[in-house]
Amino acid sequence: MSHDSTLTGSEQNLTIFKGMIHSARLRRIGLALGASSAMFLSGCASNAPQDTWQPKGENAEKINTLQWMVFPLAGIVGVLVFSLIGYILWRFRDKGQAIPHQSHGNPTIEITLTIIPALILSVVGVFTFRGIFQLAQTNDTQMVINVTGQQWWWEYDYPAQVVNGVEIAQPIITSGQLVIPTGTKVLLRETSRDVIHSYWIPALNGKKDAVPGRINLLRIQANKPGIFAGQCSEFCGLSHANMRMEAVALSPEDFATWIANQQRNAESPAQATLADEGETVFLNQCIRCHQVNGLKKADGTAAIAAPDENVYAGAAPNLTHLMSRNTFAGAAFDLLTDGCRKNVWSAAPEEFGAVYLKGVIADCLNQTNIRRWLRNAPAMKPMYANPVKLEASDGKYRGMPNLGLSESDIDKLVAYLSTLK
Amino acid sequence: MFTTGSKYYFGVAGLGSLGAVLYMVLVNPCDVGVLALLGIAIAMSLVGGVAQFTDDFDADTVSEAVTASASAPAKSMWPLLLALGGVLLLVGMTAKPIIFILGIVVIFAAGVEWALQSWAERASTDSAFNRFVRERALSSLELPLLAGGIVATIAVAFSRIMLAVSPQSGAILFIMIATAVLVVGFLVALKTNLKKSTIAATCVLGAVVLLVSGGIAGFSGNREELVVAAAEDHYSHKECEAASSEHFDKNSNNAVSMKSGISATIRVKDGKLTAQLIGIDTPVQVVTLARSNLTTILFRNLDDAQYRLVANLGTQKVGDTGVEEEIVDCTQMTGKDQTQALILKISKPSASSGPYTLTVPGLEGQEIAVVVP
Ligand code: HEC
Ligand SMILES: [Cu+2]
Repeated sequence: MSHDSTLTGSEQNLTIFKGMIHSARLRRIGLALGASSAMFLSGCASNAPQDTWQPKGENAEKINTLQWMVFPLAGIVGVLVFSLIGYILWRFRDKGQAIPHQSHGNPTIEITLTIIPALILSVVGVFTFRGIFQLAQTNDTQMVINVTGQQWWWEYDYPAQVVNGVEIAQPIITSGQLVIPTGTKVLLRETSRDVIHSYWIPALNGKKDAVPGRINLLRIQANKPGIFAGQCSEFCGLSHANMRMEAVALSPEDFATWIANQQRNAESPAQATLADEGETVFLNQCIRCHQVNGLKKADGTAAIAAPDENVYAGAAPNLTHLMSRNTFAGAAFDLLTDGCRKNVWSAAPEEFGAVYLKGVIADCLNQTNIRRWLRNAPAMKPMYANPVKLEASDGKYRGMPNLGLSESDIDKLVAYLSTLK
Repeated sequence: MFTTGSKYYFGVAGLGSLGAVLYMVLVNPCDVGVLALLGIAIAMSLVGGVAQFTDDFDADTVSEAVTASASAPAKSMWPLLLALGGVLLLVGMTAKPIIFILGIVVIFAAGVEWALQSWAERASTDSAFNRFVRERALSSLELPLLAGGIVATIAVAFSRIMLAVSPQSGAILFIMIATAVLVVGFLVALKTNLKKSTIAATCVLGAVVLLVSGGIAGFSGNREELVVAAAEDHYSHKECEAASSEHFDKNSNNAVSMKSGISATIRVKDGKLTAQLIGIDTPVQVVTLARSNLTTILFRNLDDAQYRLVANLGTQKVGDTGVEEEIVDCTQMTGKDQTQALILKISKPSASSGPYTLTVPGLEGQEIAVVVP
């Protein structure tokens, strides 16, 4: 390609620049842009639990610092480039004028416009790489949790280990809400049982894919007690939008209380109560998918769930401590009534632990939600649970099917589930 | 009215909208298909609008094109190739899918070339300028494709050779070829007065040698070890006793499973068995494995004796017979400083027929507990 830069060429380029700088119209456009973006920003919700600009822990803070540098820089460059393009498109539109002299190349401008972006990018690059390496650090981890994604909920299991001097002797298994101690560097070991998912609690760190057959590491840490919302961020099928999660940070003392409770087996309800009848229904209808630790069959042997035979992913939420969490089905629905939920979300850090550890007490149970779920789960959360359309998944369900329970069975089950604290 | 280019985009936009309406009526009004078609329509109207506004993005030809030449178009091979593509398409439909795909590629390539050539021929009355616009438009497409084709041919031919010769000769061959390429490259760069025909002859010679030896290697097949390895299935010859077995994967350290999804590494050192988990520095005696998920456990032997790792995963009923059988899985025998992978999928919790353990025959009284919640 020839680079015969002619005087007329660079003169012409210069006029463009002058025209741009001195154009009063442009200033007016700038004013309009500024005003509209201010309006746009003021529209932002104040109650935005998944806001990436509000870090609540060390790792998220690092990302936030980085984006406070990159975003304005990129914004300025973006606005400059788009306004220039817009201006030139409009200024030199075809008005039937003669075609001006054509020229190729202008070394000065070309070199300048290469060096400036290169400089900007290398500065951004240095900080970005530093951030990436800092976020990838795992050698000072204080606690490990296995996080397994499946359509459309997250399972957490806590391997046997000692955390802040408290021993987890028996592994803990739970779902939906990830409970961690504050001020502790927690390592999540992520994987998936079916398709690729992505774990993302914006307040605590960036997202990390959960890939079948691999274990990806993500470090999180929360500064203060509180509850932080998240969302599966890798499209994973029908109910991807309903695959949510929450991280709950408790002070180390409250966390120890939580640990102690989670390691307990469920106790059978007193004989001849509604809950006791519910246990029987559970053994008939639910145990084939859901484990309740300590639950015994009528003959006294341990009742063992077989989700591997019934659910495509090979797992269903462990319900032993269902009422210790306050959401269900992929943290998509509340187990708490609206008022009680508000109490949890608005609790001050000092009170949060006590409020959360109360779990779902009788007055707070969201009867509507749990009953709707038991009545017809796929109607509440889209799932592949039509018994006649399961060839594609070897006759196994993706999600929980509609079990056609009678209203009296539902009453009994709700009574039973309420005992699973 | 409409510029030439924008007509195309508006046409696609129109078709898209029509398609969307038909889809809604005939298939399903609430399906993503409608959205996709409408998306195409909207995107195309947008591009069409911009094309219209900017006179097809083209300042050069607008005025010149009006006085389009009346001269006869040059000879072209593209119509012929297009027809050939059609034949391939038809043959492929009845014979093999790959021919069908080839047909699509040929039709597409010939179509693009033909369309651009005929556009360039009418770009102005100046045939030199026309050639220039044609090349400017097409070389950005042709050159990468040509380069890609050459690179692919070299890669295929070369890999056939490397798969046929022994690993040792492969390494030597590789060094020799690389040196030759470097030397020839240097000579060409230094001797500026080299004739073009000499360079061309060298390249052709190199290409012929590569293609011929690649062809020979391809027909003579892979080297012995690779053929054997492909035929032999280590996994089906599993024996979990202490004795060494004849089926022994000596190169297991290179297996892909060694690198992905490792849940724990089990080590034998000085006759002691320990486990190490990712993220936990101190060795542990209990490992937790998720239920119903593939998990890789690495077994690393640091002692002189050969060992294997055995996973004892409780019992299961054999059908309806009432007979209980033990569930056992194991690695192959593992020599000193070797690593083997054990891939497990455990679908019952350890509370059901546990305890589950990892043991090493020959190291009695030692075990790692496995907890499956
Ligand atoms: C075929 C298997 C299957 C059966 C049978 C089944 N469930 Fe489920 N259940 C699931 C799956 C899978 C989920 C997770 C769905 C999701 O979140 O996407 C689930 C979720 C739940 C949840 C929410 C748990 C949480 O922590 O998120 C509750 C509560 C529940 N089921 C109760 C029951 C009860 C009570 C029964 C018996 C009447 C029952 N299920 C029967 C498969 C099953
Ligand atoms: Cu997901």
